[in-house]
Amino acid sequence: MRLPRLFRTTPFRLTLLFLALFAAAASAFLAYIYLATAGEATRRTDEDIGREMRALQAAYERGGANVLNQSLIERAASERPFLYLLMTKDGKRISGSIEESPVEEFTGAPARASFSVTDIDVNGRERKHPARGFQEQLRDGEILFVGADISEDQAYVLKIVRALWGAGALVIVLGLLGGLLVSRNVSRSMAGLADVVTAVRNGDLEARAQVRGTRDEFDELAEGLNEMLDRLERSMAGHRHAGDAIAHDLRSPLTRLRARLETAYLDVEAGKGNAEEALAQALEDTDGVLKTFGAVLSIARLQAAGQAPDQNVFDPAELGGDMAELYEPVCEDKGLDFAAEFAVDLQVRGNREFLAQALANILDNAVKYTPSGGAIMLRVRRRSSGEVEYSVTDTGPGVPDGDRERVVERFVRLENSRSEPGSGLGLSLVAAVAEAHGGRLELAEGPGKVGEMGPGLRVALILPRAA
Amino acid sequence: MRILIVEDDLEAAEVMDRGLTEAGHECVRAPDGEDGLAATRGGEFDVMIVDRMMPRMDGVTMVQTIRREGDQTPVLFLSALGEITDRVDGLKAGGDDYLVKPYAFAELIARVEALSRRRETGSVQTLLRVGELEMDLIGRAVHRQGKEIDLQPREFQLLEFMMRHAGQSVTRTMLLEKVWEYHFDPQTNVIDVHISRLRSKIDKGFDKPMLQTVRGAGYRLDP
Repeated sequence: MRLPRLFRTTPFRLTLLFLALFAAAASAFLAYIYLATAGEATRRTDEDIGREMRALQAAYERGGANVLNQSLIERAASERPFLYLLMTKDGKRISGSIEESPVEEFTGAPARASFSVTDIDVNGRERKHPARGFQEQLRDGEILFVGADISEDQAYVLKIVRALWGAGALVIVLGLLGGLLVSRNVSRSMAGLADVVTAVRNGDLEARAQVRGTRDEFDELAEGLNEMLDRLERSMAGHRHAGDAIAHDLRSPLTRLRARLETAYLDVEAGKGNAEEALAQALEDTDGVLKTFGAVLSIARLQAAGQAPDQNVFDPAELGGDMAELYEPVCEDKGLDFAAEFAVDLQVRGNREFLAQALANILDNAVKYTPSGGAIMLRVRRRSSGEVEYSVTDTGPGVPDGDRERVVERFVRLENSRSEPGSGLGLSLVAAVAEAHGGRLELAEGPGKVGEMGPGLRVALILPRAA
Repeated sequence: MRILIVEDDLEAAEVMDRGLTEAGHECVRAPDGEDGLAATRGGEFDVMIVDRMMPRMDGVTMVQTIRREGDQTPVLFLSALGEITDRVDGLKAGGDDYLVKPYAFAELIARVEALSRRRETGSVQTLLRVGELEMDLIGRAVHRQGKEIDLQPREFQLLEFMMRHAGQSVTRTMLLEKVWEYHFDPQTNVIDVHISRLRSKIDKGFDKPMLQTVRGAGYRLDP
């Protein structure tokens, strides 16, 4: 049998556990109160009985058995709450308010006894009252017993105990109700979160948990869950977009490739045409497709991983130096001035290969778009924020302010760059590399317009300071 | 050269076999790691080409096994896994080089031949000689026909690599990987520019050009 859902929830189980602990503690407390109050009442009764006993003994000392007997009869007839019995040394009753001593096998030494006395109440019903008393042997051998009805004391203790039990039961009932209420509340919040998880598992990526604004841990959890889902949705959208983009970008070169191969095949079949040239072109097209594919894959993997793999701490100037050494002759060949400037004693943490690829992409762009006679500058410096910045500044036509964000997107190529070879993925990869290092990519205007040149572009790859 | 091809894609293995045979090598094929392992126990090879992902026994396990058994035959890993971590894993397992699929066939042949050469030059050389070209590795000096050629440090490394693989095609990617030690993919002709600088230093003013461009593959230093 399965319990109703509410009773299976953790908060409800916790409530039960706490109630059980509380009940155990309350029982121990009650036991203590009972022992303390009942003990106190008995002690007080014993004291009273002792005092009475001493008063009777004083009368005996004064005038012997006769005076004692008289005093006893007087006292028994009065309203005093005591029970008396005076006996001969053989245990025969002489006088008193009870018929026989409750002490069995009296040896002569002072003795005490707990017993009960029977009483007729106003309704004529017999009632037994608990009582206790002392028995002592007097100087000449007579035996005196003094006792007291303790039913009133006990009733008082019982009243306290009953009150305590009542309070305990009330607390347990209230605790159970409170626990149920809290459990229901908590279970509802949990069920809300669980519903979202179920919805997402069933493919609804747009499901979101409700944030109630109470700023408690459920809100925190809900916010965390929503944030995670937002990221997941964005990433999925990114992948879908990348998928579309790949399909789009691979389709055109693949179509070209197919057409070229087909034409070549037909030409060769007809015994004319140049198959060799078509094949060479087809190979080149294939390489183009593979390059695009590789770049898209790298971007997708970096974005999926969130962080570049195999990061090490190294001197950014070293990588800058290698890149400068690689690209300086390329610039010179194209008639471009090349300069490099590296700050010393810096450290960055990153994947050298990915960063090299990113810098190569930036430098490739600069070389490609800067007309001969222009200049390119590679610089590594520390920003006042402590971040490390690689920047490449060129004197090419630059990118208009409104387009700077767009050119970083995948496959975006500006009008005047379409004549140049390129996949439109270079800066997207740089941005992905920057993000995978916790950094960013910044595009700004270059040195400005100088004659026909400019205004240029400044591309900065900014990396966080190495911890 | 005797080459062992361990590749589960039979068509790819067939193409490799044909190309390498045409280039004058003798090939043995195995469709997975277990058969590959059996083949290495049956005969000596100069180079092994091993695919990473195969049924029954993958390439990494196979190479780890033969290395444990003391077989030091150079291994070229082929893989569709192109991340740097994958490359590092492959090299750690005992591979000597790593080529990502799909590859240009010229690149494969160049790398296979470079691997076989590596084994022959086990001892430390202090002097390299290719035709008229002489390189003193200790004095860091290069002479052609007795005339000293002044090289920048990187040009020196580039020439050293070309001389060690004289007569073989080396690709641009190989040069970027082995001389600059980077594994990225430049869009522009970075390596070409460096080669042309080196070429102007070692060939200019001499009758016979030594540094050749191999169409579709890369470069070759001829004696």
